[in-house]
Amino acid sequence: MPPRPLNLIAELTYRCPLRCPYCSNPVNYAETRDALDTGAWSRVMREASAMGIVHVGLTGGEPTTRTDLEEIVAAAAEAQLFTHLVTSGLPIDPEGLRAIANAGLRSVQLSIQDALPAESDRVAGTTSFDRKIEIARATRDLGLPLILNVVLHRHNLGRIREIIALARDLDAERLELANTQYHGWALENRGALLPARLQLDAAAEVVREERGKPGPDILYVLPDYYSDRPKPCMGGWGNKNLVVAPDGTVLPCQAASSLPGLEFWRVTEQELAACWSEAPGMNAYRGEAWMPEPCRSCEQRSIDFGGCRCQAFHLTGDASATDPACELAPHHPRVVAARAECDLDQAFRYRGPASN
Amino acid sequence: MSEPLSPGDFEAALRTIGEERYHHRHPFNQRMHEGKLSRRALGSWVANRYYYQTRIPIKDGMILTKSDEVAFRREWVQRIHDHEGEHSRKGGLELWLRLAEAVGLDREPVEAFEHVLPGVRRACDSYVDFVNGHDLLESVAASLTELFAGFIMQTRIAAFEKHYDWVQPGGLDYFKSRTVKAPRDARYGLAFVTQHAETRDDQERCLAALRRKCEILWSLLDAVDRATSRPRLADHALLRDEADGSQLVVLPERAVRIGGSSGEILSLCNGERTGNDIALAMGQRHPEAASVGDDAHEFLTEMAATGALRFDPDPA
Repeated sequence: MPPRPLNLIAELTYRCPLRCPYCSNPVNYAETRDALDTGAWSRVMREASAMGIVHVGLTGGEPTTRTDLEEIVAAAAEAQLFTHLVTSGLPIDPEGLRAIANAGLRSVQLSIQDALPAESDRVAGTTSFDRKIEIARATRDLGLPLILNVVLHRHNLGRIREIIALARDLDAERLELANTQYHGWALENRGALLPARLQLDAAAEVVREERGKPGPDILYVLPDYYSDRPKPCMGGWGNKNLVVAPDGTVLPCQAASSLPGLEFWRVTEQELAACWSEAPGMNAYRGEAWMPEPCRSCEQRSIDFGGCRCQAFHLTGDASATDPACELAPHHPRVVAARAECDLDQAFRYRGPASN
Repeated sequence: MSEPLSPGDFEAALRTIGEERYHHRHPFNQRMHEGKLSRRALGSWVANRYYYQTRIPIKDGMILTKSDEVAFRREWVQRIHDHEGEHSRKGGLELWLRLAEAVGLDREPVEAFEHVLPGVRRACDSYVDFVNGHDLLESVAASLTELFAGFIMQTRIAAFEKHYDWVQPGGLDYFKSRTVKAPRDARYGLAFVTQHAETRDDQERCLAALRRKCEILWSLLDAVDRATSRPRLADHALLRDEADGSQLVVLPERAVRIGGSSGEILSLCNGERTGNDIALAMGQRHPEAASVGDDAHEFLTEMAATGALRFDPDPA
C-alpha cells in the first residue's frame, strides 16, 4: 500500500505576473497549458479528500490569475480540505481576496522578495511591492492567518532584520525565510544568487536574536549547498505530498517533470488515487528499495529520504544518486566547488512572461 | 571574538534587552495595568506568581555558593533575608501572601502551591535550573531583570489603586517594598556584571542569560494568560472527522489528531469557560485520575502553540 498523502499541491496554472529568477516552476513552463477546468479541479478536490488528504495549497504560477479561483476554493472547502492560498499578491485585489475568503479560504501565504520596495520589485521583475503589502493587510483584516515567505539569496540576506520587522508589522503568524534551493530557474541563476558563508552566518545570528522577541514564528531554512546534509525533500518521494501540475500530471514534487524517463499519469485520464499509487514514476523512488550506498545503510535515510532526486539528477546526471548536498555523497565535492561560483557580475536571467 | 563593548555600550545592550523583551510588554501585564483583568484572573496570577517568589531565595542560595568573595556574599545574602524575613521583620514572601489574601484567596492553598499551573512550575523551575547550571557571572546577569522591576512596580501600584480598588488595603505592600529594593539590588548586580564581564565572550554570555530570563518571565505569564482566558477553536481551524472515529484539527501546514480525553477537553472550549474552568470540569468528570486538571492545561498549551485555539480575555 502506498502511503496516505496529506497535502495536495494544486498548481492551478504556471502563468504569473512575476518573473523571479528562482521560480520553482519548470524552466520550460511555457510549453505547458492549463488543462483542468473548474469541474476537473473540483473533482480533484473531492478525490483528494477521499484519499485522506487534509490540506490543499492553491499555488502556481500565480493562482489568482485564474478567473474561477472562487469556485475552486468553494469546491475544496466543500470537500473538507483546509484551503491555503499561495500568492504573490497580484493580480488579486482586496475585494477578490474577500470573495475567496467567503468561499472558504482559511489561510494565505504571501511572497515578498525583499523588505526594500525597490529591491523587491527588481527581484520580482515587476512592480509589485505595494500591492503585496495591501494584500497582507487585507488578509489580516479578514481575520485569516498570514504566512510571509521570503526566498533568500545574497541580495537580500543582509536585510533579514528589516524583513522580520516587516513581518511583525504585518502581523504575520509565521515567517518563512527560505534560502534559495538551486534547481530549475535558480540553478540557471546560481552564480547571481548564491550567498557567501559569512552572509549566511550573519543572517542566522540575526534570526537567533529576533526569535526571542514577540512576533511571528520564524522558520529559517539553510540552502542545501551549505548544510552538509540533504533536506528531507517533500517529506519523501510520493510519501506525503501530491502535486497536480497545470496540465493534470500527478507528481511527487513541483520539479519532478524535469527528470527524464519517468512515466507519470494525468488526472484527465485516471483517477487521482491511481495516479498516486500506481504510476511508475510515483513508485520509482518511493520507500528505500531504490537507494544506493551510502544511503541504503545510512541511519539518516528515514529522516532525509536520501535528499532531492532533482538535485541529484541536475548535478550528477543520475536521479538515483545520493543527493550531492550530503557530505557523505560521492559527488559532494561538486556542491563544495559550487560555493565558490558566486559571481558578483552575473545578471539575473528572469523568467519570461508566460505565453499561455 | 571581537573587542569587548565599552561599559556604556554593554549596559545599553542589557537595557535594550529589557526594553524589547521584559514582561512589561506581555499582553497579560498590559491588561493588568489597564484594569482589564477579572478578579479571578488577578487571583490566579497572584497564586501562581507566589511559586516564582518562593524560587527566588533558592536560586539566591545557589548564587551564594558560586562566589568565594566575602563582600559579595554579605551583600547577596541580604536578598534572601529580604524575601524570607529575619527575626521579627516580615519578608517578601509574607507580603506576597498578604497580597493573596487581599485579592480574596485563602492563604493555605496558596502556600501549598495548589493553584500552580504546570507551565508556571516549569518556567520557575527552569530559572533555578539555569542558575544551577551556569556560572556566577551569568547567574547574576539573569537577575538583572530587576533593572526594569522598579518601573513596573510603580505602574502596578498606580493601576491597582485606580482599577482594582476592591483589593484590601495592605495588599500592595510587596510592590511598594520592591520599588525601593529592586533598583538597589539591580544597581549592585549591574555593577558586578559590568566589572566582571571582561571579554566580549563574557558580555555575550551575560546578554544571553538576561534574554533567557526574560523568556522565563514571559512564559510564566503565557501560562497564566491561557489559564485565565477563554479558549475556543480558531476561526480558520478545520475540524475534520477521520475514518477511525478520531478527529483532526487542520491548521496551516499541520494537523493535530484529537481523540479520547483531548476530544473531551476540546468540546469544553466554547469561548465561555476559562482554561482554569476547563481543568476544574475535567477534574470533576474524572475524579479517579489525579493529574487530569494539569493534563487539561498541558493540552491547552500544546493547542495554543499550534494556533488551533483562540483565547478571549475573561472580562473584568
